[in-house]
Amino acid sequence: MKKSKELHHYLTGFALAAVLTIIPFTLVASVGGARSYIVLVFCAILQVIVHFRFFLHLSFRGQQKEDLQLVLFTGFILFLMIGGTIWVLGDLYTRM
Amino acid sequence: MSAPTGQSLHPGLNLGEEHGDDHLEAETSVFGFWVFMMSDLVTFGMFFAVFATTVPLACCPGPKELFDFGSIAWQTAFLLLSSVTSGMAVLTMKQEHGGRGACTKKLVFWLLLTVLLGCGFLYREISDFISMATAGGPPTRSGYLSALWSLVGLHGLHVTGGIIWCLVIVVGVLVRGVDRRWKLALLRWAVFWHFLDVVWIFIFSFVFLGGLL
Repeated sequence: MKKSKELHHYLTGFALAAVLTIIPFTLVASVGGARSYIVLVFCAILQVIVHFRFFLHLSFRGQQKEDLQLVLFTGFILFLMIGGTIWVLGDLYTRM
Repeated sequence: MSAPTGQSLHPGLNLGEEHGDDHLEAETSVFGFWVFMMSDLVTFGMFFAVFATTVPLACCPGPKELFDFGSIAWQTAFLLLSSVTSGMAVLTMKQEHGGRGACTKKLVFWLLLTVLLGCGFLYREISDFISMATAGGPPTRSGYLSALWSLVGLHGLHVTGGIIWCLVIVVGVLVRGVDRRWKLALLRWAVFWHFLDVVWIFIFSFVFLGGLL
């Protein structure tokens, strides 16, 4: 990869991350309401992808496949543990 | 073993072939660090799970009384900018320290700028903690507040560790030069620093902004 292209990569990531940060902050400051929560979740997930792609240089191509599997497996474990915890305790909460 | 042109050996920014053996050496150490980083992510995940199962009680001040919107925005800006400057530091190392005798000034500048932004983040975070405690929200007050303090505090401790690590690298680079040891340290530190920003995305979105909604 050329030098300027690598720099451009970081700056693209920064611009995307900045936009995905500004959206939820302005939403909470101006609109609010429970419906904004969906946008909040959406922006957070998108920004995590932006960070992984542009700052941590993770992609589906080449030898990084195993590394991507490491990250995706961790994501799966996290989903099970966090999702399971919220599910079980949320269920108990509604029964109380 | 030699790497084919342009192929990356490990996740994160690769040094590239102009760094010779340093590039090949990075494969095991950086991948190993990623495995650690993933386990650290699981730790953070469990702190999030605990936080998600707690509810702010009526006894004590809630998110709207305790959180400072402006301060959260500043902290987010500091950390995102520091993530970019740490990227600039690694990029400088990659592009200008392939051979011998390259000037380390630019590298040290980006590293110190990252430290400065990290300190700005920590300053706002600590003053937020102090104002939260004085506003009737110390960690001992409720389960919700305990979970909040430990989650945000754990992240703050990581940032403190990252700043110290970066300062050690700055001293190492100035004393010993940008040799293999410090190149590999810098690669791993950059992964660590980027991860702290990823964790912060979840904290500001779900803990702070979610609480303020």
